[in-house]
Amino acid sequence: MSNVLSSILSAEFFFSIIRITSPILFATLGAVIVEKAGISNIGLEGIMMISALFGSLCAYWSSSWFVGLLAAMIVGVIVALIMSVFAFQLKTDIILVGIAINMIGSGGTIFLVKSITNMTEGEALSSTTSLITSELQIPTVQIPLIQNIPVIGPIISGHSLLTYLAFLLVFLTWVLLYKTSLGLNLRSVGENPNAASSVGVSVTRVRYTAMALSGLMAGLGGAFMSMSYAMGWSLNMVAGRGFIALAAQAMGSGEPFGAMLATIVFGFAQAFGIKLSSIGLDSNLSSPIPYIITIIGLVVFAIVKRKRDAKRVAAVGAKQRKEK
Amino acid sequence: MSKKASLRFSILRGFVAILISLFIASILIFISAEGGSFGEKLSSTGEALVYLIVRPILNGKGAFSVKSLTDILACMIPTIFTGLATCVMFSANQFNLGAEGGIMLGAFVSALVAIYVPMGTGIHMVVAVLAGAVSVAVMMLIPGILKAKLDVSEMVCSLMLNYVVMYAIKFMMNTYFADKTKGQVQSLPFEKTALVPQLINNGSKLTWGFILALIFVALTALFMYRTRWGYAIRMIGINRDFAKYSGMKVAAIIVASQVIGGVLAGLGGGVEMLGRNEFYSWSALPGYGWTGITIACIAGNNPILVPLAAFFIAYLDKGCNLMATYCGIPAQLIDIIQAVIFLFFAAEQFLSGYRQKLVVRSAQQELREKEGQK
Amino acid sequence: MAEYNSEYAVEMRHISKVYPNGVAANQDVDLCVRKGEIHALMGENGAGKSTLMKMLFGLEQPTSGEIIVNGEKVNLTSPTVAIAHGIGMVHQHFMLVPSLTVAENMVLGMVPKKNGVLIDYAKAVEITKEYSEKFNLEVDPDAKVMDIPVGMKQKVEILKALVRGAKILILDEPTAVLTTQETSELFKELVNLKKQGYTIIFISHKLNEIMQITDRLSVLRGGKFMGVRETKDVTPQEISRLMVGRDVVLTVEKDQAKPTDTVLSVRDLEYVNEYGKTMVNKLSFDVRKGEILGIAGVEGNGQKELVDILFQFATAGGGSVTVNGENILGLNQAQIREKGVALIPEDRMLYGIAGDASIEENLISDRCGKKELNSGLMFNMKKIHQMSKQLIEDYIILCKSAEQKVGMLSGGNIQKVVVAREFSSNPQLIIADQPTRGIDVGATEFIRKKLVELSRSGIAVLLISADLNEVMELSDSLIVMHGGRIAGYFEDASKLDDEMMGEYMLGLKRQSEEEIRRVCHE
Repeated sequence: MSNVLSSILSAEFFFSIIRITSPILFATLGAVIVEKAGISNIGLEGIMMISALFGSLCAYWSSSWFVGLLAAMIVGVIVALIMSVFAFQLKTDIILVGIAINMIGSGGTIFLVKSITNMTEGEALSSTTSLITSELQIPTVQIPLIQNIPVIGPIISGHSLLTYLAFLLVFLTWVLLYKTSLGLNLRSVGENPNAASSVGVSVTRVRYTAMALSGLMAGLGGAFMSMSYAMGWSLNMVAGRGFIALAAQAMGSGEPFGAMLATIVFGFAQAFGIKLSSIGLDSNLSSPIPYIITIIGLVVFAIVKRKRDAKRVAAVGAKQRKEK
Repeated sequence: MSKKASLRFSILRGFVAILISLFIASILIFISAEGGSFGEKLSSTGEALVYLIVRPILNGKGAFSVKSLTDILACMIPTIFTGLATCVMFSANQFNLGAEGGIMLGAFVSALVAIYVPMGTGIHMVVAVLAGAVSVAVMMLIPGILKAKLDVSEMVCSLMLNYVVMYAIKFMMNTYFADKTKGQVQSLPFEKTALVPQLINNGSKLTWGFILALIFVALTALFMYRTRWGYAIRMIGINRDFAKYSGMKVAAIIVASQVIGGVLAGLGGGVEMLGRNEFYSWSALPGYGWTGITIACIAGNNPILVPLAAFFIAYLDKGCNLMATYCGIPAQLIDIIQAVIFLFFAAEQFLSGYRQKLVVRSAQQELREKEGQK
Repeated sequence: MAEYNSEYAVEMRHISKVYPNGVAANQDVDLCVRKGEIHALMGENGAGKSTLMKMLFGLEQPTSGEIIVNGEKVNLTSPTVAIAHGIGMVHQHFMLVPSLTVAENMVLGMVPKKNGVLIDYAKAVEITKEYSEKFNLEVDPDAKVMDIPVGMKQKVEILKALVRGAKILILDEPTAVLTTQETSELFKELVNLKKQGYTIIFISHKLNEIMQITDRLSVLRGGKFMGVRETKDVTPQEISRLMVGRDVVLTVEKDQAKPTDTVLSVRDLEYVNEYGKTMVNKLSFDVRKGEILGIAGVEGNGQKELVDILFQFATAGGGSVTVNGENILGLNQAQIREKGVALIPEDRMLYGIAGDASIEENLISDRCGKKELNSGLMFNMKKIHQMSKQLIEDYIILCKSAEQKVGMLSGGNIQKVVVAREFSSNPQLIIADQPTRGIDVGATEFIRKKLVELSRSGIAVLLISADLNEVMELSDSLIVMHGGRIAGYFEDASKLDDEMMGEYMLGLKRQSEEEIRRVCHE
C-alpha cells in the first residue's frame, strides 16, 4: 500500500497528469468557445482523429514536425468549417453533424490511411507509427531555472511545446472571450442571436469563426495525440477525449479556467489508471476510470449546481423578507 | 404543399443525397484506385463502382444470386435492431448513442446464458436473448434517469458508458470466461439449444432473427404511432414544454424511451450473437450502433422505413467489401459513404430552394383557386 | 434612377412575400414614406406589418417587388446592408444582450478598439454618453441591460440605431410595453428627432397615438395594402374601416352572470423571481362558477407569474391555491388537469402546440391516456378520428385534413386548436391567458363567444389579457394588477371607463384593503 502511495506521489506522476491533461485541454477550450456562441460541437472527437492522422502524415512527408503541426491545425479548421456548412447553411442538427464527423473520424480515417499510404497490414494494425520517428515528434522544452527547482522542476519542466501552449491558451481564450470584439460578438450570438444580427453582427460568420476556432483547438489536440503523446496515428487513439472535453466544458460552467480545472481532474483520473495498471492492475479495469469519472463528474456537477441554485433562491427570498 | 407533393419531394431529395454520396465515393475510389495514368485510374474506378453498385446481389459469374441476397439480408439483422432503438430514442429527442455499447452488452449477456444456463431447445434461446435485452435496459436506465432527474447530457453519458461496457466485458472475458485452450480470447461454445435457428441453410447465416427483426419493426411502428406511450415519446421529442403542459409524465417517458431503446439494442445483440456465432469473441465495439444511427436518420425516425434503410446500408457495405477484395479499395470507405449520406439526409435545408419554389407555386395556385371561387 | 421620386425616404413597390410554410404575408404592398415625417404603419395583428418592416430592415427578403431608399434602388440582403443605407429598427422584443452593459450593447458590432485588438470600453462609455446627451435620451452606460427598466431599454434601442447613423427609424409597436408617462416621454423624443430631420416609421394599432403624433399613415389588412392617408384629414372611423374592413366594434353579447360556488381560491400567494424581485405579493382572489373574472394590468405586473404558479410552471413562495376546496399547489400538470383546470397558455407556440405534429395529435395531448380513446394497450383510432373531426367542425378550424401539421396553420387556426382541446376537456375552471393575442378578427370573435358561452354554462373563467377592450368587454368582474398586487377590484366590469382603468393600471390609484378584499367571496 505504501508502495502505491509513494509511486503515486512521485514527481513523475504529477508530470504525467499534466501531459495527459494537455490534449483534452485543447479540445475543452474548443468546446468552451463554441458553447459560448451557443453551439454544441460533439464532433471534436472526430476532428481530433482526422487532424491527428494528417498531422503525422504531413510531418512524415515534409520531415518536419512543424509542418505536421500546421497541417493538423489547418485540417482541424477545414473539417470544422465543413461541419459549419452543414449546420448553418443546410440547417442540419449540429449534433447529427457531429455524429457524422465522428463516423469519419473512426472508420473513414482508416480508409484514408490505407489509400494514402498503400499500407496493407490488416485492419487492426493500420497506423502511422512506423512513419514517425522521434525527430518528427513535437519537441519538449526544458525551462531554464525552473527545471532545477526540486520537486516542482521535474513536474513542470520538460513537457512538449504544445503542453505549454495548451495552458497558455486557457488565458488567451479568456482574453478572447472577454476582452476582444470577437469575444463580445461571440457571447452576444450565444445569448441573443437576434440582438447580434440586428446590429449587423453576422451571426453566421461569428458561428463559423467559433467553429473554426474549435476546429483549430481540436486540431492542436489531435497533433498532440499523434506527434507527442504517441508516436504516430493509430486506430481509435483519441479514445473519447473529445467527449470528455464536452463534459469538462459543462463542469467548468463554460468558463475557460473552470473548464481547465475540470480537465485536470480527468487528467488525474487517467494518470491514476495508468499508474494502477503499471503496478499490476488489469488494464481493462484501469482504462475505463476516466470514463467513469466523467459520468460521476457530470452527476456531481449537476447536483452541486442544483443545490447552489436552490441556495441562491433561498438567500434571495430571505433577503426579501428581511427588507420587509 | 399537399402531402403527395411533400412525399415526392422527400423521395427526390433522398435520391439526390445518395447520388452525391456515390459521387464523393467515386472521387475517393479514384484517388485510391490502382493504375499509373489517369485513364487507367478511371477505368479501375469504373470497375470498382460496378462492384459497389451492382455486384452485391450478383454471384461470381455476374448473374443474380439468392445467396448474395441472403448475405445482405443476414447483415441487416443487428442494424435493424439498432436502427429501431435509435428511432425510439431520437424520436423523444434523446440523443442517446448507447446502442453501440448496448448491442455488445446484449450479445455478451446472451452468450453467457447460452453457455452457462442449460435449458430446453427454443426456450433457452428466448431466455438468453431476453436476458441480453434486460441487461441493456438496465444499462440505459443510467443515462435515462440522469437526464430526467439531473439534466445530465444523455449523449456524453451514453458515450462514456459504451467505453465502460467494452472494457468491463473485455475484463470479464479475460479473467473469467475465456476458453484457455484457445489461442485467442473467446468463450466456451454456446449450447446448441440456445442457437437462433437458420432460416435458409446456404451459409448466409440468415436466421429466424431476420423474421424477428421484421416483427419488431411492426411492433415498434405500432408502439410509436398507435399507443399512448409512443405518442407521448413523439410529442416530447417535438415540444417538451407542450408535453409537460398537456400533463404527460415527461421525466418518466424520457427514461422509458431510452430503456426501450436499450431493449431493442439488447435484442439485436443477442440475436446476432446466437445466430451468427458459436462462441463469444467480440473484443471491441462492433459498430452496429453507429450504423443504426445512420439508418434511423435515413428512415426519418420512422420504424417502418428502417428495413429499407438497413437494406440499403447493408448493400453498400457488401459492395465496399467486394471492392476491398477485388479492387484493393479499403473497405472502410463505407464509413465515409455512410457519413455523407447521413449528413445530406439530416440536412433540413438541403434542396430547400427547390422546395420553396414548390411551396410558392402551390400557394399561388391556392390563391388563384380562391379568387376563382369568388 | 430618375424615375424614382426623391421626395421619399423609402419606397416599397409591389412587395410580396411568401414564407416557406406557404403563408403569403404580403401581397403587392406599396409603402411610401416622405423624408422627415412620422409615418404610421397600421393594421391588426397578423396584417403583415412586421413582415414588411423585416424586409425593409433586411431580415427577410421579398419574394417579389422592389425597395427604393432615398431614390436609390436597393437590395437589402441583411441588416448590415440596411444599416448602411441609414435604416435603423427598434424591435418590439428588444434586441439587447441581457448580460452585457448598456455601453457594450451600444457598440456591439462596431466596437472601438485599442491596440488594434482589445475592446476600448472607456471609449464605448464615452460614445454612449455623447449620444445620450445629444438626443436627450438618458441611459446608464455601465448598468447591465438585465438590470434596467423597460423604458430605458427602449432608449438604448433608439440610441443603438442612431449611433449607427440611422436616418430612417422603424419603431415596431414601441408603446406596447410602456406606461403612459413613458409613452408621452417617447413621443416628445420622436418629435424632437423629426425636427432634426429624421424619418420615422411608427408601427401601432393604437388609434389615439397615431392621431397624436403621425403626419401620414398607411394601412395593411390581411397582407394587402389598403391605402395611405394624411393623418389630419382622416377620421378614426375611416382608419378603423380600412383596418378591420367593417364598421363594427367587437362586442360580445352576454347575459348577467349568476355566479354560484367558489371554484378557484387564491390566498396570500407570493412569488419572488430569480433576480430577487417580488413579482406576486400576497395575492388573494376567488373565481366562482358561472363568472368571468378578468385580470387587467400592464404586462409585467405579475400576471404571467400568477398563471405560471397556477399551472405549476413556477413554485409559489407562499400562500395557497385551491380548486373546489382542494389544494393544487405542488401538483403536476396531469393532476392539476385532473382537478378540472384547463389553460389557454399565453405563448401558444411554446406551450400550446407541437408544431410538427398533426392537428389530431395536438387535439388529444391532454387525454391520450383516457379510456375512451384507447382500447386495451392500443389507441382507438376510430374514436380519435371521430373526436378530432368533431372538434375541427365545432371550432371551425380551417385545414385540409386532421393530418395536417399544426405549424402550417395560421395563428388564428392554431389558437382554435388549442382552444378546442382545452374547452373540450370538460373543465371546471378555464384560465385564459391572452386568448386572442395576435390572431385574426374572426377567430377572436369566435373564441370570445365561446368563453362567454362556457361561463354561462357554469364554468369558472379566469381571463388574463393585456387587451383592455377584451378584459372590459368579456369580464363580469375585474381586478387590476399593479406591482404584483391587486390595485382595484370592480364587481361590475361594465361600469368601468378607460380613464379610470388607466389610473389603476399605472398605480396612480389604489383601493383600500377592504374594497380589494371583496374579491374573496367568503
